[in-house]
Amino acid sequence: MADKQQQVVVKRARHKSSVKDPGTPGVLKLTKDRFTFMPNDPSSPVKHNVEFRTIKGHKFTKDGTKQALLNLTQDQGGNYIFEFENFPDRNVCKDFVASAIALSGEAGRTVPEKSAVPIQDEQLSAAEMERRIKLLQEDSDLQKLHKQFVIGGILSEAEFWATRKKLLEQNYSRRPKQRVALKNDMWSTKPLADGQIFAEKPAVRQAYLNFVPNKMTEKEFWTKYSRAEYLHSTKNVIAAAAEAAEDEELAVFLKQDDMLVNEARKKIRQVDPTLDMEADEGDDYMHLPIQDHGLPRNDNKDVLDSQYEPYRRSFSQHLNQHAAVVLQGRVIDVELGDTRSVAEALARTKHAELAKDASDVYLDKERLERISRMTEIEDLQAPRDPAVAPLSIKDPRDYFDSQQANAFSTLGDTVSGAKQLKCSVSTREAYCSLKECISEIKFQGLTEPTINSEVAFKVLNGLAQNISSNKYHLGRNPNESVLDSLPKITREELLLHWSSIQELLKHFWSSYPITTKYLLTKATKLKDAMSQIYPKLQEIKESVQSDLRHQVSLLVQPMLQALDAAFAHYDADVQNRSARSGERPNGF
Amino acid sequence: MKFQIEDVTVYFPYDNIYPEQYAYMVELKRALDAKGHCLLEMPTGTGKTIALLSLITSYALSKPSNPIKFIYCTRTVHEMEKTLSELKLLHNYQLQHLGPAAKILALGLSSRKNLCINPTVVSAENRDSVDAACRKLTASWVRELAAENPRIPTCSFFENYEKSASEAILPPGVYTLQDLRAYGKLKGWCPYFLARHMVQLANVVVYSYQYLLDPKVAGIISKEMQRESVVVFDEAHNIDNVCIEALSVSVRMQTLEGATRNINRMSQEIDRFKATDAGRLRAEYNRLVEGLALRGDLPASDAWLANPALPNDILKEAVPGNIRRAEHFLSVLRRLVQYIRGRLQTENVEKEGPVAFVASVNTQAGIDQKMLRFCYDRLHSLMLTLEISDTDEFLHIQTICDFATLVGTYTRGFSIIIEPFDERMPHIPDPVLQLCCHDASLAIKPVFERFQSVVITSGTLSPIDLYPRLLNFNPVVSRSFTMSLTRDCICPMVLTRGSDQLPVSTKYDLRSDPGVEKNYGKLLLEMVSVVPDGIVCFFVSYSYMDGIVNSWHETGLLKEIMQHKLVFIETQDVVETTLALDNYRKACDCGRGAVFFSVARGKVAEGIDFDRHYGRLVIMFGVPFQYTLSRILLARLEYLRDTFQIKEGDFLTFDALRQAAQCVGRVIRSKADYGMMIFADKRYSRHDKRSKLPGWILSHLRDAHLNLSTDMAAHIAREFLRKMAQPYDKTGVMGKKTLLSEADLEKMGNSNLGEMF
Repeated sequence: MADKQQQVVVKRARHKSSVKDPGTPGVLKLTKDRFTFMPNDPSSPVKHNVEFRTIKGHKFTKDGTKQALLNLTQDQGGNYIFEFENFPDRNVCKDFVASAIALSGEAGRTVPEKSAVPIQDEQLSAAEMERRIKLLQEDSDLQKLHKQFVIGGILSEAEFWATRKKLLEQNYSRRPKQRVALKNDMWSTKPLADGQIFAEKPAVRQAYLNFVPNKMTEKEFWTKYSRAEYLHSTKNVIAAAAEAAEDEELAVFLKQDDMLVNEARKKIRQVDPTLDMEADEGDDYMHLPIQDHGLPRNDNKDVLDSQYEPYRRSFSQHLNQHAAVVLQGRVIDVELGDTRSVAEALARTKHAELAKDASDVYLDKERLERISRMTEIEDLQAPRDPAVAPLSIKDPRDYFDSQQANAFSTLGDTVSGAKQLKCSVSTREAYCSLKECISEIKFQGLTEPTINSEVAFKVLNGLAQNISSNKYHLGRNPNESVLDSLPKITREELLLHWSSIQELLKHFWSSYPITTKYLLTKATKLKDAMSQIYPKLQEIKESVQSDLRHQVSLLVQPMLQALDAAFAHYDADVQNRSARSGERPNGF
Repeated sequence: MKFQIEDVTVYFPYDNIYPEQYAYMVELKRALDAKGHCLLEMPTGTGKTIALLSLITSYALSKPSNPIKFIYCTRTVHEMEKTLSELKLLHNYQLQHLGPAAKILALGLSSRKNLCINPTVVSAENRDSVDAACRKLTASWVRELAAENPRIPTCSFFENYEKSASEAILPPGVYTLQDLRAYGKLKGWCPYFLARHMVQLANVVVYSYQYLLDPKVAGIISKEMQRESVVVFDEAHNIDNVCIEALSVSVRMQTLEGATRNINRMSQEIDRFKATDAGRLRAEYNRLVEGLALRGDLPASDAWLANPALPNDILKEAVPGNIRRAEHFLSVLRRLVQYIRGRLQTENVEKEGPVAFVASVNTQAGIDQKMLRFCYDRLHSLMLTLEISDTDEFLHIQTICDFATLVGTYTRGFSIIIEPFDERMPHIPDPVLQLCCHDASLAIKPVFERFQSVVITSGTLSPIDLYPRLLNFNPVVSRSFTMSLTRDCICPMVLTRGSDQLPVSTKYDLRSDPGVEKNYGKLLLEMVSVVPDGIVCFFVSYSYMDGIVNSWHETGLLKEIMQHKLVFIETQDVVETTLALDNYRKACDCGRGAVFFSVARGKVAEGIDFDRHYGRLVIMFGVPFQYTLSRILLARLEYLRDTFQIKEGDFLTFDALRQAAQCVGRVIRSKADYGMMIFADKRYSRHDKRSKLPGWILSHLRDAHLNLSTDMAAHIAREFLRKMAQPYDKTGVMGKKTLLSEADLEKMGNSNLGEMF
């Protein structure tokens, strides 16, 4: 956060015309709306002074790779490559550039947009504007959509945001946005990969920052850590205490995590008062011999060895902490891989989080609203939100059967062309036909199978195995989906198309019934945009490898269907309109 | 909506009402009219609290000439917050319809720990240290000193509050603890003392049971409540236990050591005073000659926890001569501590009644019953005289005096048990002397006597005829309501066999059987893959839970469970448990779903709701019997058998089943809600156990669901969840109305209400 507030960033860097180029050493200066590059050698011709407005995007190399590069791509296709002396420098610039691009891009674009669309007479307050910009910055998908449609002239700014009123409001009340989740796996073989150990055990994180690499090497550090984990797993408190007494670094791992305790103390103040059991403790005026109504307590056995208390760690504690971390999700967006930077980033975010005041007005308000919402008995009262038509599936089996029938009919269409299937058959008819078939077979016998039975069996087996293994694997593991098995490019393309189709369809359907000329042009514009996407989807389907094609087409199919439905509706409407236009002079 | 019940216009903040809520209100009103006590059982998930609040406030509004006060007791602070926010909703509604006439003052009251806004004080660790830190700043002698010496710190909030004197009042409204703190900050007044003061004037007071039941607290907080009050004990199924605990004391070696330190410190103080300010001690002596009743004249900030259960007439008596002088009293305490220490050195378990104990104290330590009885007050007076403000250091001697007073006051219903070691760990000496109360009616007796109407209500009061016996009172109304159902929104099941068809149970011989543990794990695994959102699991004890979770961890079952949902677990550390619960809710809110492992009879089972998506399934692993080897329990069972002719087995089963019902009942909050309950133990299939469950659960327990195995249960769960996802008609089907509107109520009148149920 601190980086964003910074107004100017100045760093040493080399400008390169290409990646291979040795580059010109100089100074890169970043301000809010532009960046300048001054070479150390004043006579060098390589000078730049570019507005961020013209910059389309930025790329960067991974931390820990050979070069610390930052590549800024321009609208017109040009690009600027800078090499930095080290990664932290690069990262500072990278963050700054990212925010500057989003900011300037937004600010620069919305202004002309407003004048271009005549209907948009809405005056935006500064706060509103800020919120929109913030949303765009936070959500890259949204930004993409915005760029594609608003800048592309298909939708107006107001139209785009009209469907996102809720999002704007939510953001106002500062709901947490969705984050990438961590795997819910306490025994991952590579827990370091996403900084899970550091997130779950702040003391280990702190120790890492303190010890590595000055006091010990990375390897030694993790060896000690593993030793401590092993000691914990043996549940031998006394042995743990003995080893800790000899080795003070090991003791760090073995002792209770003070940082967690402090964190808990801070967090408890923000807890919903309707489940705050700590408050009950504070109200308990009885010092009881029998607590919890006859529940045997098993803590009095610990009276003897209070010196071992810090080394006691329960599995349940670990369980809770793990779940809390998983729930929080990945809070850092650092390029993973470098242990140290992960640890640092985590420490920073935690710090920022705790610095947030517990008595935050927004939080308080939200908490109150939440409580009052929770206390209401829902079915005694008409719902608060406008009623949504309930999904009415009277008999689920019916629903699924009909879906299956649909699938079959489309399948049938593609395979057998125009062959008409008689769907409504009475039992008698079915029986008769079955009987006929059987007698036919009886009569002719199965002497001449069309294909060799072995081959048939093999084919069937192959097919069935593929299907069943797919069926077995899909959805079996909640952390993996079909999408993960696709190549990255295809996946991203698919997701992008999916979101843009959704956006377009939302606007398309909301413009019906067409009552004004404005809506008519809008619908036409949207239809055109959609018909551009249509072939692209087909392309994707054809471009993927054969073994994935089935799955991709399964994914693409609903999109195509939705588009088809929209086109059909549009065409029908146009026909209706032209038919009626004779009767009605104004066309509506 | 607004409707008439006989002569009272009831304001109810919703458009519709459940028929059982209406019936509940009618019964409640009759009890109020009769000015008597009542006992009402209504299933959870039928809006009991709002029905109560709405009837009683409306009743008070309809009788403006003779206003009744409404004292609402909750078990926990978070329930207090919930109640107050419901009351807020109701109050807003009443204000809308009645205007300013409906204005009331309602507030919650809690300890300093929960109300203090002075940052230096409230940062103290626990309740006692907060109390002490507050006293250090607000005690009358500290303030006197501070008036002369500005360098002595005082609490600015308390000073401001004192300065504003009679102006320091709360305007009408509903105040939760948070609101009180906010108001205190706004005005710069101490919220704790403000609330303590306003309790006398408020129309509605919400506080914890202990403020009425624990004589130490009740003496100061609830002393001035008028007789014309309605006292409600909500979620009162455990009230007998609370009563018993309020009058029980236990003394360990550490207590005695601490008490000795306290005595030494006091004797030093006495010497110091003798040298500097002998007048003070003499003044105390004179005050004691006149009797203890003077205590009421002490300044508010010095107020102490009052005497544990001394009848009023004793308070007017003078303190016996031989403990009036401070030194004499200290030597009595020394002898008492010495005597108890001697008793703790026993090799065997000893058990005796209070009479025998007092006689033996008298012969061996020379302390008679009357001296014992006055110990608590005498100590309190001495500590005030000695100007001791770090009261948290003196808890040990207070415990000893508490014990002495109780043992000197009551001759029956108690027993004294001395155990040299814990039954489960005989090799570790840990002697403990326990004074345990067996008679729940002793603590609640003053409440029944003092107040006009006492309402005892809960979702599980079965069998309802047992409570009047345990608490020794005569209710004018005693009724158990059933739930009128729009659809079968609860689905209880009894699971007797695991996936391998072998019986499951937490019975002693099967408890640590790895097969049973595995079967329980498989059951949970099956369920996490079927049930969306939240699942709550209750175990019979902490140690059992730890054991089974560890064994699931070792066998990899836990890992598989975690593939589906996050896992949270209750621990004995409240802070951690609270945070775990908070995270659990977050996980359910964001759709990820979670499992919460908890303990029956634990704090979570007692007070946290798992309604709606926070709990779609509860699994009760085992039957939560009390720890039957406990001497205290055995002594209580014996007392119950001798006094009330209640059989031991019956009481234990009753107690276990009410806890189980309590655990599973937390999933339902309204009729739009739905949830499943699995009783996973073969013993639930037996009629004698099962029949003790409350009627509203039994009525949904189909015969086909009485003897299930894991696979069958999973199948039923799938079917049930699918059924619940269908739209339904909220107002009821088949001619039976389950949701009444204002018009319905008018049409019905009061006459034919009886036919509905």
